[in-house]
Amino acid sequence: MFATTIKKAISMKRLLPVSCTAFAILLSAAAQAAAPGISGSTFNLTAAPAYLSQPDGLSVYSWGYGCTGGALPSGSTFVPTTTTTPFCTTMQVPGPTLVVTEGQSVTVTLTNNLPASAGNTSILFPGFTVSATGGVAGLLTQEAAPGATVSYTFTASSPGTRAYYSGTQGDLQVEMGLYGAIIVVPSSAPTNGTCPTHSTAAGLNTAGTALVNGGESDFRLSPTGAAYHLAQSCYDREYLFQFSEMDPNIHAQALAQVTGCAAPGAPTGCHLNVPTEPYHPVYFMINGRSMPDDMDTNYAAQYPHQPYNGNPHMHPGDLTLLRIIGQGRWQHPFHEHGNHVRILARDGNPILAPDGTSLAGPLLFTTTTTPGLAMDGIFYWTGKGLNWDAYGHHAGSSDPLATLTCTPDANGYNTGNALAVNYYEWCQDHNKPMEAKPFGDIGGGGPVTLPQPNLFTNGAWYGGSPYLGPDATVRSAGPTGSTPPSGTIANPPTSEAGFAFMWHSHNEREITTNNIFPGGMLMMMLVDSREFVIDESL
Amino acid sequence: MFSTRCWIALGLLSAFAVPAMAQSFRVQCPSSTITHPAAANNSEPAYSAPTYVPVTSGNADYTTGKSGPVNGAIKCQQISGGDGYAVMGDGTQTYLFSFGPLSGIGDITQGLPGTEFPSVFNTPFPVSTSNFLVPGDPATTVDGVGTSPIAGGLVGPLSTAQLARIAGSYNGAVGQDYDIGHTFSIFDISESGHTVTVVLNAQSPFVVGDQVVISQGSGTDLTGYIGTFAVTAVNIPNAFFPANFAFQYTNPTTGLAAVNMSSDAVASSAPAITGHVDPRQIMDVGVMNGNIPAPLMAIDEDDEFFLTLTNVGMIMRPDLFEQHTVHFHGYPNASAFYDGVPDASVAINIAASFTYYYLAPDAGTYFWHCHITPPEHLQMGMVGQLYVRPRQNRVTGALYAALQTQQRDLRTACRRPGDGAIPAVTTDPDILCSNPVPVVNTGAAGGGKTYAYNDGDGSTYYDVDYPVQMHGFDPNFHFVGMTFNPEGFADMKEKYFLLNGRSYPDTVNPDPLQTQSADGVYHFSQPLPTIIKIAPGQRALLRISNLNVSEYQTLASLGVPMQVVGYNAKLLRDQAGNNLYYTTNSITLGGGESLDVILDSCAVRSVLTDPSSSCTTPMPTGTYYLYTPNLDHLSNDAENFGGQMTEVRVAL
Repeated sequence: MFATTIKKAISMKRLLPVSCTAFAILLSAAAQAAAPGISGSTFNLTAAPAYLSQPDGLSVYSWGYGCTGGALPSGSTFVPTTTTTPFCTTMQVPGPTLVVTEGQSVTVTLTNNLPASAGNTSILFPGFTVSATGGVAGLLTQEAAPGATVSYTFTASSPGTRAYYSGTQGDLQVEMGLYGAIIVVPSSAPTNGTCPTHSTAAGLNTAGTALVNGGESDFRLSPTGAAYHLAQSCYDREYLFQFSEMDPNIHAQALAQVTGCAAPGAPTGCHLNVPTEPYHPVYFMINGRSMPDDMDTNYAAQYPHQPYNGNPHMHPGDLTLLRIIGQGRWQHPFHEHGNHVRILARDGNPILAPDGTSLAGPLLFTTTTTPGLAMDGIFYWTGKGLNWDAYGHHAGSSDPLATLTCTPDANGYNTGNALAVNYYEWCQDHNKPMEAKPFGDIGGGGPVTLPQPNLFTNGAWYGGSPYLGPDATVRSAGPTGSTPPSGTIANPPTSEAGFAFMWHSHNEREITTNNIFPGGMLMMMLVDSREFVIDESL
Repeated sequence: MFSTRCWIALGLLSAFAVPAMAQSFRVQCPSSTITHPAAANNSEPAYSAPTYVPVTSGNADYTTGKSGPVNGAIKCQQISGGDGYAVMGDGTQTYLFSFGPLSGIGDITQGLPGTEFPSVFNTPFPVSTSNFLVPGDPATTVDGVGTSPIAGGLVGPLSTAQLARIAGSYNGAVGQDYDIGHTFSIFDISESGHTVTVVLNAQSPFVVGDQVVISQGSGTDLTGYIGTFAVTAVNIPNAFFPANFAFQYTNPTTGLAAVNMSSDAVASSAPAITGHVDPRQIMDVGVMNGNIPAPLMAIDEDDEFFLTLTNVGMIMRPDLFEQHTVHFHGYPNASAFYDGVPDASVAINIAASFTYYYLAPDAGTYFWHCHITPPEHLQMGMVGQLYVRPRQNRVTGALYAALQTQQRDLRTACRRPGDGAIPAVTTDPDILCSNPVPVVNTGAAGGGKTYAYNDGDGSTYYDVDYPVQMHGFDPNFHFVGMTFNPEGFADMKEKYFLLNGRSYPDTVNPDPLQTQSADGVYHFSQPLPTIIKIAPGQRALLRISNLNVSEYQTLASLGVPMQVVGYNAKLLRDQAGNNLYYTTNSITLGGGESLDVILDSCAVRSVLTDPSSSCTTPMPTGTYYLYTPNLDHLSNDAENFGGQMTEVRVAL
């Protein structure tokens, strides 16, 4: 079988309506993300070929790690446990995220099911002291010959996010997809403080004024609630982003040679000789998917070999842990709209001041992913300093949600009641109007006048008003909010009305899929009012 | 698309006055706001204390704890979104999708920000019978090219007379003009105590606070009512017409009888500056007048910033009917609405304007760009620079104590145990805060000095600052973009490598560069030279950003060391208060990154810990260079000498 090649060397400007229609079909629901993986101490992985899907229609011949036999071995579990319909096929890109606990002995047995002409393969676990058993000697580690196995054992010595990838002919095998992530969760709680209470309040109770306690499941991998032994690494949500790029010509040549070597009459010992330079990548992926595929759900059925997505959601004030790994050859400046990211650690090593507990990592609005480098960062959004009330509170309203109170804590946030819709509101802006004139059920007296909406083109992720959450949006702009020209409403005014932010590579050429914009390394991040239940099992 | 906002507006007509907003071009620059309530906010007051003091119990809102002085001012700017041409280092004219200046035009042609106080922004162009606006005015062009054209068709430097004309030019909002006053006949006027209720014969246009003149012609029945008054209330239920036909004012004279159906009674308002613009001026100036980089913006911490984007359309690409937006890149705690991402907010259609509103965030070097189809609009030139100056510039006296005082402001606080600020804290700093009190009190004092950040130790002091934006143009992409063809993204490859929109040797041309547009007129296209002039012993702050859309770029300094003090608009300081500055001779940035570098031309200072102290051993005077070690970027397309390079001139 040959790859289906549908290349569209045309600008997205002409394709936008087409693509938006495709969106509408693919966006089965508001997909959310978390950092799914498989947990255990013994992992049986297979390296095998399959085809990856790209949003321009190309199916790309690739190699990846998967679960031996296409199923999870006994003793392993899918995490987070609430994940819906997880699977572990014989091959996926990125490989299964291995979730282990600090101090644990980990054994990974690799079976080489790549085509014989691809030769040996192996796995490197940078950051761990690995002993390999079986296999044959390779340049960097013991390797598995075609059809054979090799085992790697190491102690998960310290917490953190790290990469694993092929240690055999990496220029080809990593390009083909042989990479993944390993997350070590800490075995004990932070030593310099305790984690704040993780609020799971979301949705509304029947009175419509307070949130449902326990309305959301806890999707964190770390049982201590922290990524490291540091109180500053406590988090409420976590997302893993693995960046890679792909040159389809290399994949096409690999497929052609694999096919040739397997054909009758091929010479004995026929093996691949695929040039990996000049390198001309045109697919730029996060977690093995290009936008918009990356915003579909984890384990979406249409991507049997690309199970992981990228579509973060968070409530105001949620401490959000970003686990970021550069798995390709290039650096990518990933720009997080909405706020800065505090880098906590590189390759599992916390970046600390000489006092041993103060953070010394940079605060970045653009996090550069670098080949082979993993980093962890914390992000959160509260709207502090907007200078207007993002919830559109309106003292004169009869809507109870419009007249909520704000009681500042020592940092100025409304944190006294985790069941309040405006939990983590910045109280200095509470009730502060943005619009000069009253509009709908929103008060006036503010600094700006919003022009006629007909002067604008609305976006698919525009919540329908300047305000956060369905109640404020409906009070401001009515229940239909806004309809973009595409007709796609990805952030409905009556149910979600979040603040959407684009997270994307700022080497902007990389937010294309081959020649099509939008695509590539791009995702939307949603800050959702606590009226909206973030369900990351989707 | 008939939006809900309209639907609601229709539904609520009887409840609220609907402002007269039919006009699609409009600027907004209030002289006062609820944040800056004084009548005028046209200067930066000294910083002595936070506006808000912490409130730790009970329900609070924006009025609670607001007991300190009002800090900062109001700043406004107007820009056009459209197209234009720029001239490359080899003389090639390159087509741009671009932003152009529509305020501060005189300042921008001199390399300054086009950001203005309301008093400047709201000054209409002084049109008279002898002072006309002609196409290209005010001063987006000068008459002809420079006096001494450089061989090869390059534009030469401007003559003294031309420069004088620019310097004397206009800085207000282009197009802003007096809106006509309203005159409405009065149906009924009556008084109850001091409160006068006026019922007009039509829906009242007045809002609370408007100055209204009550007058009549030859009649006398309104005696006692006549005069100029401030409207105190609107939407007054009355016996005659809908409530929105009526308003009230307060009259010192009481006891007047009601007057019904007076033959000549009118209520009128004076012509006023309200944000109304004359579209002719907008189009005359804004069309085909793009700049690269886009107009410079600079604000001070605590400012409110009103940025009006006016979409004048792309004349060369009418097929695209493109919207534009402004993304304030790197703003912490941005709002999705004002973030400029068209997918997540609104985008501005042609022939419309929209005002972005932000309170200035933490000090630092940010930048801005259009966010429509970023690989296209950024490659085509819609990138600009933006920085926020710190409160510390407005501090007199000890910087350390002033930063401790700033910790009382919860919006910018970065507290750690033992930082000496009041009240003492026991918890670790907030994970995203960036400006803790330094470990060492250097005793540095401010007062009329400039700093990159609120450092509290004077370590980011500078004498002069220069914005330096790295960019790159792919001439094929620009050509395809001009000729109605869909551009390919996969093969994008820059051939012109720019600092502030120019390649060497244009980077050291001190004048605004001009480009002849398709209309034959020379427009200012590249206002910013990149000549780093430093007096011996002084310090220059380089506010460096990279907006190249496909590559990482390195900038190196030959001779003068680069001290990196800020990164991504944040002071380089750990949360224990240690400075993490480092000295290097090169920095590397990806697209969408910024960094602050200080070039210090002093070898030894009189007070080692105070960079503002006098220099005892300056560096030798001379010309040094700032250039890219990406050596293939030292070219202008086919010319193998030029590109991303400029001069650092250490000279008196």
